[in-house]
Amino acid sequence: MKLVALVATVAFSVVASLGGTVAAMAQSDCKTLVKASPFGPDDETGATNRVTPAVTKAAAAEIQTGKVTPMAFNLVDGVPLFGTRFTKTVLTSFALVPGAEYGKNKLSYMEDTYLSQSHVGTHLDGLGHIGIKDCYYNQTPMGKYVTQNYLKKLGIEHIKTFATRGVIIDLVKVFQDAGKLKANAACTSPCLDGGTVITEADLQAGLKLYNVTLREGDAVFLNTGWGNLFQQFPKQNAAYNSSEPGLSKSAGEWLADQKVVVVGADTWAVEVIPSEDKEEAFPVHKILLTDNGIHIIENVRTDLIAAEAASTKRATFFLSLTVPKAVGLTGTFVNLEAIQ
Amino acid sequence: MNLDGTATASLVGRRQFLTVLVGAALAAAPAHARESSEPFRIAFANLNEDPTAHLDGLGFTGAEVRRSFELAARTLPVELIYYDNAGDGEKAVANADDAIARKVDLLIEYNDDIEANAEIGRRMHRAGIPVLALNYPVPGAPLYAADNLAAGRIAGKTLGEFARENWADQTVVAVIAGDLGNTAPYLADRVQGITEALQQVLPDIAVTRLDTSGNPVRVQGLLGKFLAAQTRRKVLVAALDDPTALAAKEAIERAGRIGDCAIVGQGVDRSIHGGASEKKELDPSNRSSIVLGSVAYYLDRYGYEVLPLAIKMLQGAEVPAKTTTKHILISARNVFIEYPPYDMN
Repeated sequence: MKLVALVATVAFSVVASLGGTVAAMAQSDCKTLVKASPFGPDDETGATNRVTPAVTKAAAAEIQTGKVTPMAFNLVDGVPLFGTRFTKTVLTSFALVPGAEYGKNKLSYMEDTYLSQSHVGTHLDGLGHIGIKDCYYNQTPMGKYVTQNYLKKLGIEHIKTFATRGVIIDLVKVFQDAGKLKANAACTSPCLDGGTVITEADLQAGLKLYNVTLREGDAVFLNTGWGNLFQQFPKQNAAYNSSEPGLSKSAGEWLADQKVVVVGADTWAVEVIPSEDKEEAFPVHKILLTDNGIHIIENVRTDLIAAEAASTKRATFFLSLTVPKAVGLTGTFVNLEAIQ
Repeated sequence: MNLDGTATASLVGRRQFLTVLVGAALAAAPAHARESSEPFRIAFANLNEDPTAHLDGLGFTGAEVRRSFELAARTLPVELIYYDNAGDGEKAVANADDAIARKVDLLIEYNDDIEANAEIGRRMHRAGIPVLALNYPVPGAPLYAADNLAAGRIAGKTLGEFARENWADQTVVAVIAGDLGNTAPYLADRVQGITEALQQVLPDIAVTRLDTSGNPVRVQGLLGKFLAAQTRRKVLVAALDDPTALAAKEAIERAGRIGDCAIVGQGVDRSIHGGASEKKELDPSNRSSIVLGSVAYYLDRYGYEVLPLAIKMLQGAEVPAKTTTKHILISARNVFIEYPPYDMN
């Protein structure tokens, strides 16, 4: 989720009203608002602590045929973004013109500059992304750790590894099989409609389809079909952003209880929008990121791996995903692949 | 429930375990728990789903009201059947007939034709199907409605207190702008509430009415002339809807009178609160706007308020004869609390 601009806006307002002293931000009693980390009071890593060598080794057994299935959308100007968000790619330096080459071998080069927020396209939410008031993961009072440029705690550089088992849950199939698929007319392939609530029972039904039992350290991905609207960019950008199917709060709690490390989906927020409770903002983000240190990946391309699961009857894979050691970032766009 | 308000229940199958609701009240049929896990079948007849039609003198459309029912129904034991009354009394009666034919458990009627509502009340009574009326009474049915008088008072009080705090030593005048030629009772109540509250805070204030004839853009010419004649005065603008509030702001900007005016709107539709990325008027980063806020009517949340009432009726619980919207002022300070923007992701 790309709350960056909002956070920036709110932070700016607060800073402005306090004469520019970030340290002067009001502090809440974070122990009452956010759960403590099970990994200790100094933990900034979160759920990826669960990806132990044993977990990675077990996940490696998922590689049987070597087939790699892409799970990210192309990052290109024009994909669904919100009003003030932008991506702009600029070819800023090139030496193709005659006389600009280097050396007698006439070596030329090119570089580009990519301007955007970090939460665009297929992207990962870090633990510094979502909080309640100024309280973030592991009861961290973030007001003390915010600078104008980056976070001094909970940046994505603290992520351990995502070398773990991935599991695809095909909610389209679950809803079709249950005869309750309410589709959206804008989707050109089956999709759950915006606002459709995905419950823990739906998740369990999806796991049962391929006889999968979740285990500690898994990365879970939800195929809702909503990503079809993303693929139609820019035609359906407004429809894609207007709402989405997604997790209920109780389903989010259930996934946290399974001790997973990542929850991703082919939607822009993973959770149902509008929320079940009209007065709550992104409650599943709080459950996963803030209370449990579980990363969220949005705008994941899940249709290909869902199709692969349907044809091979295997819904598990080795997850190929790394993130840059970018200090103090709240998130980053990523590439991910399923290896089977 | 009988005409005298006493309750008798005839249990004729799951869908007819309640008797008809008659009398001002109170829908409190004796509790007969549902006999199966089947959802209640509730019909919702919407006022008007023409995308160009705005409801009840505010900036909301029928589609927004309908969507609120769709969303609220997600976690409730209900199956909804939707009708569009299309702003037409005859169509509303025909829709009610269809709901009777489909043997719904309850009808939620949103229709502004008083005579048609009387007929609908009679027909539903004969069919033994309870009715919950929305904004416009149906004889014998509990009513969920906006409190336009209270909403008007909130606007008037906000403007009056702003002037008292900021312009205590200045001459202040007030304008009420909107579709003042419209004789609908809700507009009269809104105007009365604004006027009363303004005069309560500022007893000597002169209040001028600018009639836009239902076209918010017209306020620009009317207000422009008014401002030209009020060169040394501060001006409070109570707009009867949000589009008029926004048009008034434009007129004030054009006249170069930003420092002399304050505005409060009515409704809090998307045109004024938009979303995080749309940078609309009511926005946490726009706290210095001359639009102090707008009074919320929550038409886009009716489903969340009305469906639980309907379920209570069907479960035999007591519901009041009239339930009113809890109006509050939405400003830059609370807009994201009241309306968490989906697009802040």
